[in-house]
Amino acid sequence: MTQRAIEVDTLRKEFKSYSSRSGLAGAFRDLFTRNYKVVPAVNDISFTVNQGEMVGYIGENGAGKSTTIKMLTGILTPTSGKIIVNGMNPHKQREQFVQTIGVVFGQRSQLWWDIAVQESFRLLKKVYKVTDEQYDDHMNHVIKTLDIEPLLDKPVRKLSLGQRMRCELAAALIHNPPLLFLDEPTIGLDVLVKLKIREFLKEINEKYNTTILLTTHNLTDIEALCDRVIMLDEGSIIYDGALKHLKENLGDGKELQFQFLEKVDLQAVKALTTGMPVKWALDEKEHIFTANVEDHDELVSMLIAKIVANYKIKDIKINETSTEEIIRNIYEKGAVEVG
Amino acid sequence: MFYVSMFFQYLSQYIKTRLQYRTDLFVEFFSDLLSQAINLIFILVVFGHTDLLSGWSRDEIIFIYGFFLVPFAVFSAFFNIWDFNERYIVKGELDRILTRPIHSLFQIILERLELESLLGGITGIAVMLYAGSRLGLTIEWYEPILFIVFVIGGALVYGGIFIMLACISFWADARTSLMPMMYNISNYGRYPVNIYNKLIRFVLTWILPFAFAGVYPAAFFLEKKEWYWYSFLTPLIGIIFFVLSVMLWNQGVKKYRGAGN
Amino acid sequence: MDKYLEMIRIRFLMMLAYRTNYYTGILIYSINIGAYYFLWKAIYGAKTDIQGLSIAQMTTYVAISWMARAFYFNNLDREMAMEIKEGKVAVELIRPYNYLGMKTMQAFGEGIFRLFFFSLPGLIIVYFVFPIQFTWDLGVWGLFAISILLSFFINTELNLLTGITTFFLYNNTGLIRAKRVVIDLFSGLILPMSFFPGWAQEIMKFLPFQGISYIPSMIYTEGFTHQQAIAALGQQFLWVVILYLPILWLWSIAKKQLVIQGG
Repeated sequence: MTQRAIEVDTLRKEFKSYSSRSGLAGAFRDLFTRNYKVVPAVNDISFTVNQGEMVGYIGENGAGKSTTIKMLTGILTPTSGKIIVNGMNPHKQREQFVQTIGVVFGQRSQLWWDIAVQESFRLLKKVYKVTDEQYDDHMNHVIKTLDIEPLLDKPVRKLSLGQRMRCELAAALIHNPPLLFLDEPTIGLDVLVKLKIREFLKEINEKYNTTILLTTHNLTDIEALCDRVIMLDEGSIIYDGALKHLKENLGDGKELQFQFLEKVDLQAVKALTTGMPVKWALDEKEHIFTANVEDHDELVSMLIAKIVANYKIKDIKINETSTEEIIRNIYEKGAVEVG
Repeated sequence: MFYVSMFFQYLSQYIKTRLQYRTDLFVEFFSDLLSQAINLIFILVVFGHTDLLSGWSRDEIIFIYGFFLVPFAVFSAFFNIWDFNERYIVKGELDRILTRPIHSLFQIILERLELESLLGGITGIAVMLYAGSRLGLTIEWYEPILFIVFVIGGALVYGGIFIMLACISFWADARTSLMPMMYNISNYGRYPVNIYNKLIRFVLTWILPFAFAGVYPAAFFLEKKEWYWYSFLTPLIGIIFFVLSVMLWNQGVKKYRGAGN
Repeated sequence: MDKYLEMIRIRFLMMLAYRTNYYTGILIYSINIGAYYFLWKAIYGAKTDIQGLSIAQMTTYVAISWMARAFYFNNLDREMAMEIKEGKVAVELIRPYNYLGMKTMQAFGEGIFRLFFFSLPGLIIVYFVFPIQFTWDLGVWGLFAISILLSFFINTELNLLTGITTFFLYNNTGLIRAKRVVIDLFSGLILPMSFFPGWAQEIMKFLPFQGISYIPSMIYTEGFTHQQAIAALGQQFLWVVILYLPILWLWSIAKKQLVIQGG
């Protein structure tokens, strides 16, 4: 039987938000009585994650991703609902619980700013009560794989963002936790560092069967790492399942890109294809016309025929719809109908 | 045991960091000395115009001020939480604290150690010795022990009050904290409480018991028998306020909203 | 000028938005005044006056100087130090306004806010609790108004000067703290200048600090004669002008340094 790493049942978090009245007189009235309303940031969500899974947790800004992560890590108390992570209630048994998780917040440092990286590691080693053998056994490998050996004696404030993130990741793994939360771990990093971090995450997942929950805006991260995605919109889960499944079912469209030799007007192109189920978009800078159509062969060839008959073509590309496009479509429609 | 060893771990990091910025250390110490000197000047100037303050002489007031400096120095060294609201709530540093397996308040105390403030205690003892010798006070064998107990009690009173003030940030939306302003009020514990009216005396004794970090315990060493009762209450009040503040803190952490919401 | 007025308005709204600060602020100022009142009462004991001030005048002096402090007080030095250390000043310098001017206007907005929503209600509370003598002489009020405006400028200029030193010292927290205690004592906030020994008063005449608190409070409590009041205003004005010079000078050096180091 597979073990449950995370179990969430009708989890809810509400925030009180104040709306201020406008103008000076309004602000003065606010001194005495306030308008406030209760906003659910996370709206009765339920899901489970098994040990060893790598799950992508995605959603737009303000969809409730960080709030969920903060409840799962014991930082915030839920308004209602049940959370069991690693068999514990994160907020109630906080000090015991956090011993079993690792957390990386991309925009916030876990390391001490003024002291050398290895000093931070040493302190964290004591904080998590890691023995010397465990540390040597595990961390030597982590340090080598992430290639941070030469950074260890530098103070954190002197590191570049990419260097710092690698150190942050290593710091989160000092106690070799069975569950790792990563909140925007690759934000602002260059491609090489991103690749290195992805490789590393895959490796520890295979080696230690570490469960990883990842939130990110960068869908390539998710595509590279996660088999499963949980998609959040306005506090509710709108999709929970395999990434592949999502692509097969919703990614059945094609994207056609045209570049013309002459100057062409978007309106004219649209007029030309009226009656066809085509969505046009124009990249103004590159003068690339993009048409999104459903994937049946006749329609694609009809569209191409019509365009070619009317304009001189410089280039044509036919693409599968990207994950990004799929997700944008989902958010526009507001729900997912799979299957 | 674990917490004691953590204390020394953080302490060694703290010393390493401080040694990197030695000039800061010097400037900080100098400005502390200056503010102590200015408070002394105030007392001296005031007594240029009067000999007795509600039955207390100039040297007695100076002695009380000297005593006050010691628990205050201990408090400043260990409860450096003036900027708790900005640093931990507004900037969200508390997120990081809460993902570590040590009590959150203890972690913050460890992170914010400022042991150089202890030097203020040495000034305080010097001032006490000076005023004490002018008053002809002698030191009994048990007095150093009681002194330590009272100092710890006074520091806990301060710690408790300021932790409770820090807890306000968990509930209220204040952008800046009230703590610097409260510092003004804490000053009144330095003067003999019988100069105040009943209400303020009550506040300084039972609500914001700053008098237990100054005049009450100092009265014992000044051999003011009528205040002995209060002197011996010092450690008790300190423990009560500190325990209350930790309980309030534990409740407050549950209300923490996180940053950027 | 419009943008500066807008900045005053924004600060005003910001202050209104944090009401916990507002309520407790009034309370704490009242307590402060109260505690000094008792301290002074004990100091006066049976005496009817010390250095020409009666106990009633002294109480009024304390109340007025705290309430005036709410107007002139600001944390510009700390704000500037923070912005300089975090590198935000470089961005500010690109914007189409004078950074120091903007800072001053922000502080002014805050000051006006506190004057109306803080000092006035606070003063009314204090009036009912302690024996304070209010004057109804409009001429005195007028002189007082001019005087606290000048106080604001002297104090703000000192803050700006302290703030600018962040460019030259890596960490000036100590300096900022020291400046604050020096101003509290030598401005006459906790002790009127006339209480100091003669030689100290002589020295202080050549320093700008008493223009911050002592002069407006003495004008209000009518501890000054009319001629003395006018002369004191002149002295304040002179300090506003004199302090402006080192600011200009240091700021131009600081800007050059910023360009070279790239912020």
